[in-house]
Amino acid sequence: MAEVTLSRVRKSYGAVDIIHGVDLGISDGEFVVLVGPSGCGKSTLLRMIAGLETITGGDIRIGGRVVNDLDPKDRDIAMVFQNYALYPHMTVAVNMGFSLEHRGTGKAEIAERVKWAADILGLTHLLDRYPRQLSGGQRQRVAMGRAIVRDPQVFLFDEPLSNLDAKLRVVMRGEIKSLHQKLKTTTIYVTHDQVEAMTMADKIVVLNGGRVEQIGAPLDLYDRPANQFVAGFIGSPSMNFLTGTITAEGFAAPGIVLPLPEAAHELRDRKAVYGIRPEHFALDDNGVPAEIVLVEPMGSETQVTMKLGETQVTGVFRERVSLSPGAIIRVRPDLASIHLFAADGGERLN
Amino acid sequence: MKAELSPRMKVFLYGLMCVLLVPFVFPTWWMVTSSVKPISDIFAFPPQLVPQSYDWTTYQKVFELQPFVQQYWNSAYIAALVTLGTMVVSSMAGYAFARIRFPFANTIFMIVLLGLLIPSEVTIVPLFQMFLKAGMVNTHWPLILVPIFGAPSVFATFVMRQFFVTLPGELEEAARVDGLGRFKIFRKIALPLARPALASVAIFTFLHSWNLFLEPIVFLSSADKFTLPQALTQYTDAYGGPMWNIQLAAATLTALPVLIVFIIAQKQFVEGLAHTGLKG
Repeated sequence: MAEVTLSRVRKSYGAVDIIHGVDLGISDGEFVVLVGPSGCGKSTLLRMIAGLETITGGDIRIGGRVVNDLDPKDRDIAMVFQNYALYPHMTVAVNMGFSLEHRGTGKAEIAERVKWAADILGLTHLLDRYPRQLSGGQRQRVAMGRAIVRDPQVFLFDEPLSNLDAKLRVVMRGEIKSLHQKLKTTTIYVTHDQVEAMTMADKIVVLNGGRVEQIGAPLDLYDRPANQFVAGFIGSPSMNFLTGTITAEGFAAPGIVLPLPEAAHELRDRKAVYGIRPEHFALDDNGVPAEIVLVEPMGSETQVTMKLGETQVTGVFRERVSLSPGAIIRVRPDLASIHLFAADGGERLN
Repeated sequence: MKAELSPRMKVFLYGLMCVLLVPFVFPTWWMVTSSVKPISDIFAFPPQLVPQSYDWTTYQKVFELQPFVQQYWNSAYIAALVTLGTMVVSSMAGYAFARIRFPFANTIFMIVLLGLLIPSEVTIVPLFQMFLKAGMVNTHWPLILVPIFGAPSVFATFVMRQFFVTLPGELEEAARVDGLGRFKIFRKIALPLARPALASVAIFTFLHSWNLFLEPIVFLSSADKFTLPQALTQYTDAYGGPMWNIQLAAATLTALPVLIVFIIAQKQFVEGLAHTGLKG
C-alpha cells in the first residue's frame, strides 16, 4: 500500500496537449475514481501512472518515490485492463501466477498465493481452465486475481466493467468494492460511468479536456458541484439547466419565473444558469406550472419530461404520475438544492 | 442463418465440385498409377486409368540409378533448416515491423516487400558470383541461405507481421506490467499465440524449399549433393530421353512427404491464411 502523488503532470503529443498539469494526492488505501466523458484523458492519466505512457512534464510519486522514468514492472503496481488482457494460451492458474514466476518467486509460494487469490474471488474450481472457457464475469475475476496475487502497492483499473452486461456490472461493482475493503490497497479506477464512480469511490476526480474539474467525496460532488460541467456529469438523470437572469421576483428563465433561495438575491440582475436535479422537484399545488411532455413510470418512481416555460426539463417523483402529454402539473423546486452557475464559464455562484 | 440447400441444388453443386476436382486429382492419380505401369502401358490408347499389370521394380530402380536416399536426405535437411531459419527470421522481423515503433518502419517494410517483386532468375547470376567468391558453390549453403534471407522469408515476414498487427496491445501491456521485457514478451506471449501463422509459414516455406529447382541446378553439380527436384531430371536413358515409369516412381516418392505434411497440417494452413487476411 502506498500514497500516490501527481504534481503538475502533463502529457503532449507533439504540439497537442492531452493532460494539462494535473495535481492529485491519493492517500494510502484510498479508492479514487477518475471519471469524465470519452476523450477527457482519464485513461491516459492512468496509463501514465502505470508507466505505459511517458509523461511530458511533472512528477508521479508512488510511495514517496518518483517513478517518472521507471518501467511498469518496477513501479509495484498491478493493472486490470478493459478487455481483461488474459493470456489466451495459459490456464487461469498460470495467468494468475505469471508475474510472480517472472519475479523469481518459488513455485510453492506461487501456488499458495494463487490459491489464496482464487479463494477470495471464488475461482478455485476454474484454475485449470483457459480464458476462452470462461464467461465475461469469470474473466473479469481472473483479471482481478492476477492483480491481487502480487500484493502490489497500487491497483489500477481501466474501465474494467465496460464489457459486461448491466446486471453483471452491478455484481462486479460490489465485488471490486468489497475486495478493496478487504485488502485496503490504494486503488485508482477509471470509468466514464458516473454511477460506478458515485457508488465505489472514496474520492472522485472529475476530468474534462485533460483538466481536473473537481476532486471530492462522491456526495460533495453531488451536493456542491464546483461548476456546471461537474453538475451535469454527476447524477443520473443529469441535472436540469435553465438559462436566465436573477431578479427580485426570482429566476427569470424564458417563459417562467422560478423561486430562488433568500441568499441568491444578493446576485440580483446577474445572468446565470439555474441548476436543479430531477429528484429535487416535488408535486405541489402551489408550485410553478409545467406541461408534461413524456411520462416514464419506473415502478419505484416516475420520470417525467416536462416544459418549464420554454425549457424542457426532467423530474423524478416518488408519486405515480398518470397524466397524458400536454397536461399541466404544478411542481416546486427544493430551494435548498438549487445550484446557480455563472452564465459565462459555468463557475458556481451560490 | 444459412439457408438450407434444396436436394437438386446439392446434387448440382456436388456434381460441379466433382468436375472441378478432375484437373487437381488426375495428375496425381496419373503419376502414382504410371509409376507401376510398364512403360508401354503409360502411353497406351485409350489411357489405362487403372493399371492392367503392376511393375514394382521401378521403385527399386529409383534407388539403383541415383543415390536417391542421399538426395532425399539432402532435400529433407535443407527444407528443415530453411523452414526453421525462416520461422525464426520472419517471426522476429514480423514482430518488429508490427509492434516496435521505430523511424521509417513502414517505409522499410515497403522496401522489404519490394523484394517479392524481383524474380529469382534476375538475382541468380549475381548470387552465383557471390557464392562462388565465398567458395560455397556445389555446397548446400546457397540453398539454405538464399531462402532464409530472400523472397520466401519476405513473404513469411509479411504473413507474421499481419498476424502480430492483430494481436491486442493490451496483452503486451499486461505483460509489461507483469515484468516482462520486449524479448520475453515476444517469446512468451506473442510467439505462442502466433502458432497458426507460424504453421502456415512453416508449410509454405517447407513446400518452397522442397520444390526448389532453379537454385539447385545452378549451384550444385555433383549427384550426391542433388536435391530431389534436380534428381528427378537425371532418370534418363542413354539418349537423354526420360525413363517415364522410373521418373514417375521417383516423383511419387518426392511428393509423398509433402502430401502427408499437407494432410496433417491443412487445418493450420487454412487457419494461418485466415489470420493473415490472405485468401487462397
